[in-house]
Amino acid sequence: MSTGAVIFAFNNEKIDYVRLAAWSAQNISRHLDIPVSLITDSDVTPDGFDQIIRVKTPIAGSRWFDDIGSTVEWKNTNRVDAFELSPYDTTLVLDADYIVASPQLHYTLNSLTTDFLCFKKAYDLTGRTTGNLLNTFGQHNFPMSWATVLIFKRTHLSKIIFESMQMIKNNWQHYRNIYKIDRPTYRNDFALSIALGIFSGHTNQVDFILGSIPTLTPDVELKKFSSDGYELNFIKNNKPVWLRIENMDFHAMGKKHLETMIENS
Amino acid sequence: MNTENIISQSRARFAHEANRRLLKEKYEAKMLFAYQGGMWRAGPELLSTINFCRITNDAEVVLLDLYENPIKVNTKELWNLAAARWQEQMNAWHQEFEESRKNR
Repeated sequence: MSTGAVIFAFNNEKIDYVRLAAWSAQNISRHLDIPVSLITDSDVTPDGFDQIIRVKTPIAGSRWFDDIGSTVEWKNTNRVDAFELSPYDTTLVLDADYIVASPQLHYTLNSLTTDFLCFKKAYDLTGRTTGNLLNTFGQHNFPMSWATVLIFKRTHLSKIIFESMQMIKNNWQHYRNIYKIDRPTYRNDFALSIALGIFSGHTNQVDFILGSIPTLTPDVELKKFSSDGYELNFIKNNKPVWLRIENMDFHAMGKKHLETMIENS
Repeated sequence: MNTENIISQSRARFAHEANRRLLKEKYEAKMLFAYQGGMWRAGPELLSTINFCRITNDAEVVLLDLYENPIKVNTKELWNLAAARWQEQMNAWHQEFEESRKNR
């Protein structure tokens, strides 16, 4: 039975996702000791991947990025294809901007008794986002399930969840109306949340990865101070503040800041 | 980096409250570990449960893991793993917390 990670990376005019993925793959190999495959439309062949799976460019939406200060093309809609595209029996799907800095996911992969797992909760590492902003969506405050980190076995149950996500993606306007989602752009997180709701008979009684995703909002600047240590600089109450995190996985939503950090490290 | 940035960074203060929460989240996550195909959280609750089982001289018992799956465990092995991880991570938490208190 094979276990490996896959990262989806589709470059746009502002962000080199393939480069983020290549850097991330090194961290994943180092901490989790599993092969990493890249799913991309890019012609470049970066080192460090077990397999490079080339696919057609997914339909692009547009999304505002705080760290870039403009709306950019966002080609992150084919997460639903992970089940078909993954070359592994057990797959860890990670966003290109999810930084693996500890063996934490190794423990989850090693004790997998369920077919499909994701995180249910996220929290703002800087402590500036309060309440349920990161953990609900839509006007009904439906509970969020995060597609940032997915673990699935190649089973019928996982297939049903991905097929449900595909159905939601194909009928996005309909589901957007039902869940009263303000933004028109399709998001994997929302589709996954709705799919797990449907799958569980609208009880949301499914297993999740234990813990929450430590999250950095897009405005946070990143600097590396050790192999797995990162300094965060941000503004709180109109004053510049800083923090350091080490040996802790996190989701860096500020792709541009992450790209700059990788360039400088 | 321009002068404005350098001045701004020199004035930056350490986010103590955010750091306190961050350390709590970090070390609570590090208390999780896998054993016999189950997931466990090292800490007083698990150690007390294992201790109770050991009082009754059961070398092997079935306990519910964090996903509520029944897992057959060797009480000595699980106690050793949980105690070691708990002490190791609590010490690291304490050390990092004390270090961070020196930051301005």
